[in-house]
Amino acid sequence: MEKVIKRKSKYNKAESRAAYICMLPSVIGLVCITYLPMIASFALSLFSWNGLGNMKFIGFDNYVKLFTNDSKFYGSLLSTLKYAGLSVLGCMIFSLIVAMLLNRKIPARGFFRGVFYLPYVLPAMAVYLGWKWLFDYNYGFLNYVITMAGGNRIKFLDDSLMVTPSLALIAVWLSGNLIVIFLAGLQNVPRVYHEAAEVDGANGFHRLIHITIPCMTPIIFYNLLMSLVTNLQVITPALSLTKGGPGTGSYYMCYMLYNKAFNSHQYGYGSAIAVILFILIAIFTAILFSTSNGWIFYEGDDKE
Amino acid sequence: MKKLISLLLCLTMLLTLSSMAMAEDTRVHITFSFWGDETEAQSVQANLDAFNASQDRIFVEPMQIPNEEYTSTLVSYAIADQLPDCGMVNENAVLYFARNGVMADVSTMYEGEALQPMDCITFKDAGVPVGYSSCNEILILYYNKDMFDAAGEPYPSADKPYTWDEFIAVSKRLTLDENGLHPDDEGFNPEKIVQYGCFVNNWTWQLEVWALSNGGAWFSEDGKECLINSPEAIESIQKVADLALVHHVAPLNVIPEDNGVGVGIGSGAVAMTTDGTWRLGTDFPTLGINYGIAPLPVMKQEVTSCTSGLTGVFAGKHQAEAYEFVKWYTREESSWDSLVLTGIWMPKSEYYYTEEGMKEWLGNDAYPFKDIETAKKVLVDYTMNYAKPACWYFTPNTQITTNEILFTALQPVWSGEKTAEEAINGIYEEMVEAISME
Amino acid sequence: MIAGIERRGRSRARSGKRREKIWNVTCFILLVLLAVIVMFPIYWIFRSSLMSNAELYAYPPAFTPPAWRWENYSATLQSFDYWHFLGNTMKVLVPSVIGAVITATMGGYAFARLRFRGKKFLFTLCVGSMLLPSMVTLVPLFVMWAKIGLVNTYWPLILPHFCGGGAFNIFLIRQFIKTVPRELDEAATIDGCGYFRILVFIIVPAIKSAMIVVGLLKFIEMWNDLLQQVTYITRRDRYTLTLGLNIFKGSFNDDWSSIMCATCLSFIPGIVFYLIGQRYFVEGIVMTGMKN
Repeated sequence: MEKVIKRKSKYNKAESRAAYICMLPSVIGLVCITYLPMIASFALSLFSWNGLGNMKFIGFDNYVKLFTNDSKFYGSLLSTLKYAGLSVLGCMIFSLIVAMLLNRKIPARGFFRGVFYLPYVLPAMAVYLGWKWLFDYNYGFLNYVITMAGGNRIKFLDDSLMVTPSLALIAVWLSGNLIVIFLAGLQNVPRVYHEAAEVDGANGFHRLIHITIPCMTPIIFYNLLMSLVTNLQVITPALSLTKGGPGTGSYYMCYMLYNKAFNSHQYGYGSAIAVILFILIAIFTAILFSTSNGWIFYEGDDKE
Repeated sequence: MKKLISLLLCLTMLLTLSSMAMAEDTRVHITFSFWGDETEAQSVQANLDAFNASQDRIFVEPMQIPNEEYTSTLVSYAIADQLPDCGMVNENAVLYFARNGVMADVSTMYEGEALQPMDCITFKDAGVPVGYSSCNEILILYYNKDMFDAAGEPYPSADKPYTWDEFIAVSKRLTLDENGLHPDDEGFNPEKIVQYGCFVNNWTWQLEVWALSNGGAWFSEDGKECLINSPEAIESIQKVADLALVHHVAPLNVIPEDNGVGVGIGSGAVAMTTDGTWRLGTDFPTLGINYGIAPLPVMKQEVTSCTSGLTGVFAGKHQAEAYEFVKWYTREESSWDSLVLTGIWMPKSEYYYTEEGMKEWLGNDAYPFKDIETAKKVLVDYTMNYAKPACWYFTPNTQITTNEILFTALQPVWSGEKTAEEAINGIYEEMVEAISME
Repeated sequence: MIAGIERRGRSRARSGKRREKIWNVTCFILLVLLAVIVMFPIYWIFRSSLMSNAELYAYPPAFTPPAWRWENYSATLQSFDYWHFLGNTMKVLVPSVIGAVITATMGGYAFARLRFRGKKFLFTLCVGSMLLPSMVTLVPLFVMWAKIGLVNTYWPLILPHFCGGGAFNIFLIRQFIKTVPRELDEAATIDGCGYFRILVFIIVPAIKSAMIVVGLLKFIEMWNDLLQQVTYITRRDRYTLTLGLNIFKGSFNDDWSSIMCATCLSFIPGIVFYLIGQRYFVEGIVMTGMKN
């Protein structure tokens, strides 16, 4: 009896109704824009469909073809991993350093913050067009500097091994949002810790290792996770700049998916790639989460 | 309150007026989809206006779609059952549309007409015509006269094309590093080239012509077999790649876009470029380059590729009206001023390649290329004697085979990371499977 | 003895101060260097936009335009339909941003304040959706919109943002609402306010800055997007700035100075909008704590 009353009091009718109304748009979004299409994607991957003709159920043939008779799949997988690895690493290090520099007492802080954030607010398409010109093999600025310094020109975008590092460099350049999030985290590191450490005679480096970094681990984790998920889904540079090339150098999985589905009209095949991508991201997320307990430092009061 | 009432009154009047206007319009409205940039959009609109004014039963509305997304957009409309009534179709989508029942039948389209389209621009699925290109475009060689003059080199001949070796030799004499040295000179620095001798457009479909020139082919003529692994085809690709990699006479272009003129002669740093004839109208009038034209160099036999998209009728409820419009639209006459005389299109009917028909366009003062003697040899005679249809006129799934698989696989060849043989052998199986796909 | 320790301590503090000063200067120089490097590409694009094509292809490249060809811009504006594209972009952006802010606020409110059955489950679904790759849904969503016949309208771009505006934004709002003292709502409840009145009259004024942050983040997200726009919008009269630039590049691929002009022009709204909104960014994100 008591239990029932408790239950009733726990979920007040008016409150529940208000909550459901508030949640309605989000639930519709979650169901119709995220989870149902995801299931549909799995289903579609078992069909052969060119968009115009009839759908034909073919079981796992799309997957078999991906792994056995697709000259680009492994290259695509490798490029995606390379891009994600390089850009996640590059972005994290670069933005953490910049954030720490910005967190000091420096003149014109707002200005500098603006400078580093600026690339992020420019339309991606425009950014890549601009960089294409800087990277150009025949007439680009970077190669001019290199030849001036006596080096041989680098095929930044024209070499299947160089293209991903070059694009990752642009990603680092674009990492303004990470900087802001890191900066926010740094400003949340309680001053008392630093003051206490200073009294104990710890120098800047020690404070960095023993206070700043540990306090920042939850944010580092968050940034790491999110940039990994985002960067594994890289497509814009391939779409706007390299068309996946040279070879499979920037033929990232998302671009492959897009290309197969929307350019070659193999919708089922594209969906199979989407499923593989999904599994790949799930694996990485799982790995990251399973290691997280080992290195993330939570302040006592923050656990809910 | 007064304001509100007057506003309401205005609204009512507007509504009545517009409904009256609508009531008057008894014409059948059809949509026509096309690709192209702003200039092309204007010329298309001018054409539609002319057609709409010419009769009072059909009203055509334009629908502009960017080139890159064109086919996929039409497919999305097909999924939604909202295809336009008629429209342009990309070369590589004609067979795909035709085989999936999207295109209306064309068997009677030119029945009893005086002007018949040329055979080399007829799309065939297993030998049956399924569509006719709107115009004819072939590949030719453009050259910068000033650079030839500066090097004291005679211009490429319109009668006797270069052999491949001559082409390389001439290119070498036109290539300069920053110290004015040529590729075979002592001390030539390939890292600091300021002028290149040539650029052979390596945009995928334009490469097929070199396989033909070298005595090979990419696909069998019935469109069922993939021959791209033949030694002739492989060698032809390698020869094109070697222009930049071995001979240092061409700029590197690893990820091709449809930009032969831009990378080549249009940059002002390249003396010769191969590209399609539409460039006569789309690029050269504004480039400000003193240029000439010649047939393509020859590897083993003289040949050029011809191609063009088509304007077709889509299966749907206004098929008859769409048919009427398309017939009107695809006559040379309809696009005479906007496309033919501007140099963008070459006519599709055989008549215009005869002695008298030729004069109607090449001899017109408006035509951008003024040297009619050369134009006759390089555009007319070259088409009639040496033009072969590009592979998508008879081979299914070229979007997948050439535009996608081959496009990616060849990039390491252009950059020199792989030989053509390695690249082609790596994708041959996949090409074979793709060509037979439904 | 005590005095001795104190002295040593003080001298250590002094040398520490000097070291810190040197360190500060080094850091500042490093920061300036990095800032110059980051700004350089933007400068390079800008200077390219003021040059003729011949000057662009010249070797060696010029650091400053040989002649400042401002007329490039007026020429580019003739063929690049800037204002039209910008207007279209806003037609997509403005409703999406508003929709995302409203629905994210509602969702965040429910998660932060209200008790209801299935809250945990929904919360998990939300977290999960953050980690699910959105690319996976591209094909089915496209087919869905195509079947409804809404491809080539702005709806596929706008409507999804009316569905909570993404899990991240819901959490951001939730986090913010948690910082609003509960006593405020309780007092209002006693005064007879319903849940929605509390949301509108108590919560919303208190978390205005968070809502601005959500709006700004949404704005940037959509501003940066190419894939969705490429997939759904193909009619030229409905082009957004990004798509306009894409086709502009396609149709004038020889004319790099025009492309650079168009690129610079498309930079402007982003810069303006950042200048307006920058105050809120850091402030807002700091306040969320970001530790969810």
